[in-house]
Amino acid sequence: MKRTYIYLFIGLALLTADCKKKLIEEPRSILTPAFFSTTQGFQQGLDAAYAGMRLIWGNQDYFTLTVIGTDEFKRGIDGNSDVNVYSSGYTTSSGVINANWRNAYTFINTCCGIVDNAPNVDLPEATKKKMVAEAKFLRANYYFLLVQFFADVTLNKNFQAEPTTSAKRDPIKDVYSFILQDLNDAVQDLPAVAIKDVLPGKVTKAAALHVLAKVYLTKAGSLAKESTDYENAYTTAKALIDAKATYGLELQQDFGKVYEEGNERNSEVIWSVQHTSNLAFNGPNNSGISNFSADNILNHMWVPQYEKQPGMIRSTLYGRPYIRCTPTLWLTNTCFADKTNDTRYKKTFQTVWYANDPATPSTYPKWPNPLPPGAPAGAVSGQFKFKLGDTAIYMPGVDVTNAQIAAARYLMIPPRNYSNALCPAMFKYFDTKRADLNFPSIRPVIAYRLAETYLIAAEAAFFTSRPAEAVNYINKVRERAAYPTGNAAAMDIAAADLSIDFILDERARELCGELMRWLDLVRTGKLIERVKLYNPEAAPNIQPKHVLRPIPQAQLDATVTGDAYNNNLYFPGWN
Amino acid sequence: MKCVTPPRIRHTVRSEFFKQNGIYLLFLFFPILFFTSIADAQADKTIVIKGFITSQAGEPLQGVTVQSKGTTKATVTQADGAFQLQVAPNSTLSVSYVGYISKDIKVGAADQNVSVQLLVNKNEMEQVIVVGYGTRRKSDVTGAIVSISEQSIKDIPPLTSRRPLQGQGAGIDIQKNGGNSKPGATPSILIRGSRSVRAGNDPLIVVDGIPFNGSINDLNQDDVSSVEVLKDASATAIYGSRGANGVILVSTKRGRTGKPVITYSGYAGLVKPLGEYPVMNTAEFYEFKKWALYNGRFTGNNRTYASVDDPKLVSDNFTPQELESVQTGASTDWQDLIYKSGIITNHQLGLTGGSENTQYALSGGYYKETGVYYGQGFQRFSMKASIDQQLGKRVKVGISSLNTFTLTDGEGANPLGQALRASPLVSPYNADGSLLNDFVPGSASQVWNPLANFQVAGASVQNRKRFGTFTTLYADVSILDGLKYRFNAGAEIRSDVYGEFYASKTTNNLGGLSTSQNRTNFRTNYTMENILTYDKTLAKKHKILFTGLFSLQEQESQSNTFRNNTIASDNLQYFNPTYGANLIGDGDYEKWDILSYMGRLNYSYDDRYLLTLTMRVDASSRLAPGNQYNTFPSAAVAWNINKESFMNNAGPITNLRLRASYGRVGNTAISAYQTLGALSSLVYNYGDATTTGVYVSNVPNPLLTWEYTSTVNVGMDFGLFNNRVSGSVEGYKQFTESLLLPQNLPSTSGVPNAIVTNIGKTTNQGFELHLATVNLQGKGRNSFSWTTDLNFFINRGKITSLANGVTKDVANNWFVGKPIGVYYDYVKAGIWQNTAADTALAISMGQTVTGVGSVIGNIKRADLSGPNGKPDNKLDDTYDRTIIGSSQPKWEGGITNRFGFRGFDLTVVAFARWGQMLKSGLQGGGFANTFQATYNNIKTPYWTPLNQNNEYPKPNANNTNTPNNSLLGYFDGSFLKIRTISLGYNVPPATVKRLGGKSVRVYATVEDPFILFSPFVNKYGGLDPEAAGSLNLDTPPNWTLIFGVNISL
Repeated sequence: MKRTYIYLFIGLALLTADCKKKLIEEPRSILTPAFFSTTQGFQQGLDAAYAGMRLIWGNQDYFTLTVIGTDEFKRGIDGNSDVNVYSSGYTTSSGVINANWRNAYTFINTCCGIVDNAPNVDLPEATKKKMVAEAKFLRANYYFLLVQFFADVTLNKNFQAEPTTSAKRDPIKDVYSFILQDLNDAVQDLPAVAIKDVLPGKVTKAAALHVLAKVYLTKAGSLAKESTDYENAYTTAKALIDAKATYGLELQQDFGKVYEEGNERNSEVIWSVQHTSNLAFNGPNNSGISNFSADNILNHMWVPQYEKQPGMIRSTLYGRPYIRCTPTLWLTNTCFADKTNDTRYKKTFQTVWYANDPATPSTYPKWPNPLPPGAPAGAVSGQFKFKLGDTAIYMPGVDVTNAQIAAARYLMIPPRNYSNALCPAMFKYFDTKRADLNFPSIRPVIAYRLAETYLIAAEAAFFTSRPAEAVNYINKVRERAAYPTGNAAAMDIAAADLSIDFILDERARELCGELMRWLDLVRTGKLIERVKLYNPEAAPNIQPKHVLRPIPQAQLDATVTGDAYNNNLYFPGWN
Repeated sequence: MKCVTPPRIRHTVRSEFFKQNGIYLLFLFFPILFFTSIADAQADKTIVIKGFITSQAGEPLQGVTVQSKGTTKATVTQADGAFQLQVAPNSTLSVSYVGYISKDIKVGAADQNVSVQLLVNKNEMEQVIVVGYGTRRKSDVTGAIVSISEQSIKDIPPLTSRRPLQGQGAGIDIQKNGGNSKPGATPSILIRGSRSVRAGNDPLIVVDGIPFNGSINDLNQDDVSSVEVLKDASATAIYGSRGANGVILVSTKRGRTGKPVITYSGYAGLVKPLGEYPVMNTAEFYEFKKWALYNGRFTGNNRTYASVDDPKLVSDNFTPQELESVQTGASTDWQDLIYKSGIITNHQLGLTGGSENTQYALSGGYYKETGVYYGQGFQRFSMKASIDQQLGKRVKVGISSLNTFTLTDGEGANPLGQALRASPLVSPYNADGSLLNDFVPGSASQVWNPLANFQVAGASVQNRKRFGTFTTLYADVSILDGLKYRFNAGAEIRSDVYGEFYASKTTNNLGGLSTSQNRTNFRTNYTMENILTYDKTLAKKHKILFTGLFSLQEQESQSNTFRNNTIASDNLQYFNPTYGANLIGDGDYEKWDILSYMGRLNYSYDDRYLLTLTMRVDASSRLAPGNQYNTFPSAAVAWNINKESFMNNAGPITNLRLRASYGRVGNTAISAYQTLGALSSLVYNYGDATTTGVYVSNVPNPLLTWEYTSTVNVGMDFGLFNNRVSGSVEGYKQFTESLLLPQNLPSTSGVPNAIVTNIGKTTNQGFELHLATVNLQGKGRNSFSWTTDLNFFINRGKITSLANGVTKDVANNWFVGKPIGVYYDYVKAGIWQNTAADTALAISMGQTVTGVGSVIGNIKRADLSGPNGKPDNKLDDTYDRTIIGSSQPKWEGGITNRFGFRGFDLTVVAFARWGQMLKSGLQGGGFANTFQATYNNIKTPYWTPLNQNNEYPKPNANNTNTPNNSLLGYFDGSFLKIRTISLGYNVPPATVKRLGGKSVRVYATVEDPFILFSPFVNKYGGLDPEAAGSLNLDTPPNWTLIFGVNISL
């Protein structure tokens, strides 16, 4: 009996023997960096490099840095009061700066991983070559963003899998060389196919050419400029335009079609950053109320507080009033002075809202007693001015008298009464198909389009003393703007009209709000001048250092080995 | 196990000193101690003494020795505490019981009934306590251990399961986690401060010898028989890689030989919020909002409104309905609408008993608590069974099974964010009396009616169901004389299912799509230990005890989460994602193993000189190959001075011993696969082709290892006056190295996530005092007794080294020479005033003074320094932020007073935490103190040109938060709190016996009734400063009143 027990326990003891192999880890729910160098990881890495673009195009941070604080748009009532107006609250710690900086470097590393791992991956050479070219295109874009905002930045040419806590700034010309190398490789290796023949959002040779032209043009206005830059910009842009049929590219006949909802794959689009109605794939933070992450929330940015007016409630059609920015009076009145032949103003701005509140008709405004002089026929004191579905708000775009305002059925707002809460709303990014009225957009964001290629070509032609060509390219864009009601011939300009200011004005008319204005102004050296002229809130604050974004404090704080990260290169304590 | 047939050891009563020195003695700050002089007994005839022996709390004590002094006449008490003894008239009875202070009772000349209460001996050296992998007499222990016996646990009112042991032991710091007072919330437990930033500071919990992975809420307090807290390295070194944060050993009740005893304990009561957070009423908010609009509305660079009373300002920004409220003074108190009284109930039924060879204990319990919000609740069903069986002479086996099922409702329910912000100007109800199920008007379409979540049934559902079974079994085999083998094994299976649903119209979804989430977690954990012990005494004086161990522990867990939205019908809640859209799922799997080898040698010479040597080797799968094995040695010595012959006539000194130890322990909290690095995923689509991309977010670190803590500890245990004054003093210093720290890499490294590396060092040093006094011993049931337990401790932690020799790491908030958990920020220098001097100063400092970004009226920060080490008239993050405080308290302490009189007992527990800085989310950086006035705000005397205070800034409708608002959130966090007051009554034993029972006790307990001192509460409108970490704005703190009864049959 006793012996039986003893054997039993010796048996139990043996159960716990032979345990060495218990110490080997086999992860099942995570992927480790080793996966990244496999064939499957190589493909998924490229998808991540594309997906990283969502953190830029469509994200509020990049919008803030490129749209507001320019001659086109000023701070809306709910826009921030530091970066947007260059106040003393705009510092190295401003979160919007760091978000762009960090995201760019994260996905540069992803792209580097793809480029460096390619030799080890088991895929057909042609496939690999194309994928590497895509990665180089994306890497060039991330670096292009950095170099425009920060000038001299750290240049990582290779994949980094080891942690490092030191960093230095590399000369701006080296960064530009690397970008140009990547883009030239991409131009070389990407297929010259029609854009409609690749998956939506995929990079093509046309996209590489467009960005290459833009990089040359930008470099020409930078500290790294070389005498050949404008020439290269011109020839590259021209090459793309000349071969546009090959890529299936053509300007839309109607400017209004370019940003029409549902028409994001139109013939003018060179490259777009994708979004989808399949919300599980539309952004990791697709909560509907997030201001960050991979969501496209451009649809909210320009929406004014229409819902506070009688007869109006918040709707999916009119959008969620984030009202981060409003157009400057210069943009709506001066730049878009011609609202007859140039149809772009009315195809860019919403100026009419129809009463949409069915629930509380009793709150609709009533005619006073006595009726105001000039009241329309049918107006009766004490009766409703308008009903559901009628015009509730109208912005005629030209001045009207106070008497006319008082006599109108609806809220009439001439330019002098535009406020930072209620003013014309830029609707290029509006989205009426999202699942909930507070949700982000499911529409792709157009990053590059052919009309801009024409304007790049025109600018490069202007700087290389080819006025005829410059006029020709600009007129192509302007004539299209007259369709269908304007006089196309009246839109044409002559060489005498050309100046860099005119080119900037034309870019505003064609491209306003398209996430590039701040960069255009810096490239042309016009930021401070134009902000002082046209952006009254930012004008008193803007300083020379504001042509660069500050190196983020997080970068300065985390660089703990070697030399401190230099933010005194151009403006002490700033960048 | 300690409570299984405790050894019965007679006590020598050392009262000669008092006989010689009279009756009264003053000791420390405690009042006079009373003593009884003892007269000699006469032995002519015999009388019969009957009586009951109980504890101070009235529980009958079984097995107490009652002896007629100077004779051999003696008996022991029965299970109901009763005894009967024939003695000579006027003799003295000596009553003694292990773990209790002995007492002498003088009897008269006739038969009589006596009842005697014994008080717990806090420093009983003969008491056997649980140490790691075995038990030891307290006099043989060389480490620093706080032992809390079953009796002490009973004395502490039962609610302490919510924050067990708080205020009960020196060096044990227990705080509400983030100030969270939800039902079922787990507290934060720190033993001797924090030493780790990243790896966690939670102590290891070991139940019946096996590491326990459940939460403290999975343990039913009624099933616990004793708790030992191991603090120094000598005590914890045998837990090797997991000992650094201290170890809590919990023993559960086992059966005892004797007739079956049935026990019932139950209580019921109320939970109420401590108060409301101070927010503005209608008149205050109206004024505040007008100022915010005046300050924040600009047309170009000109103010939109001429003055704060501009009629246009009012008409533009307030609806007629709101203005009506202003007129009538109608004000909605949203907090009043969302709070209610919670209820709390507990029932526990137990049965224990056994024969010589078999002992059993069975119990079942039910606990329920509902919170101060609707929808919050916690229920626990528990069942425990244990059986111990002797098999022949050499083998004993036993099994114990703890099973709990808990239900937590509304754990994420936090309508406070909405309730504090909702405008007081509007009603939560529509004109027709129905619920306004929409945004609260006047709150910027950001605040949904907080009543919507619970007034609409099923609109907000959060259910967590946890089931856990924890079974341990052992087999003891006596192989040879002194040589024993023990097989100890434990298996734990836990399943946790969480479901969450929010309808569209809730504070969570603000009228958007309905959302649901379903999460399941399943975890298994087993441990197998083989323990060999050899116990031998040589030449009568050399005692040797060797313990050898080999063990394996393995844990495996997996979880899945599914989320979706647009659920077809609200009735479906989270149960079936088929009827929803946009399904997203993720999962997790983890498995780890620890192999351990341990040897321990205890040697003592003549019970006077003691030595303990321990060596443990742990191997962990969570470390990279090559780094998996690590060694944890320790050594300790002790000297029982009172056993020396020169101490035989040492007057009042009953016990005196010195201890010293040194050892190295680890902190194992590296999660599985952490050395391997990781990729993160990011979804994307090419048109309709959807895809999931991956990118490197964490780099591998094969060099990762555990944190190591070396501790030097010296201690002294003492007992005076027959242990009526006893206690211990500890001093220690800990050196923690290879600290796991997340290091933020510069973004240019291309790796977005911080990397975890072993880069830091910290030290902790401290002093601990524990003192237990019997101030008034009392003679019996009808006399007054009073005991006090006092603990006081100081811990000073600091970081001594960071990576690469840097002395400060601002990105991570670490500073060499400073404790973990400092606050680094600007210094608030008041408010920018609208004076010429301040305006000039602001301009010279580059601050904007006009237009919408004007700093006038905003928080002014001090210009502390500059690049040249002097103030440079500029404000920047590099030179003008400094360490403004620390969350580390200067000292902590607890005091428990117990009074007994005529069957009544009163227990008062107070504790204090002093000198720490509190960071409060209520005032600083939170959503309730933005000064934007788009929604309601904490009531503060804000700045206006008419009220130029220097404390609070101006309201500004244009700023989402007033700039530098974090500076409003720092407070002195010191507090002194009454933790518990409990009043009980024990029905006289004779009465109980007549009714056929053994004991009956009724009591009332109030928990957290008062905060006696706290600047945060008294001056700044806070409710309760107790919080581990920042005080989050969540379920408000509450107080509880319960009534209970304990019956033993």
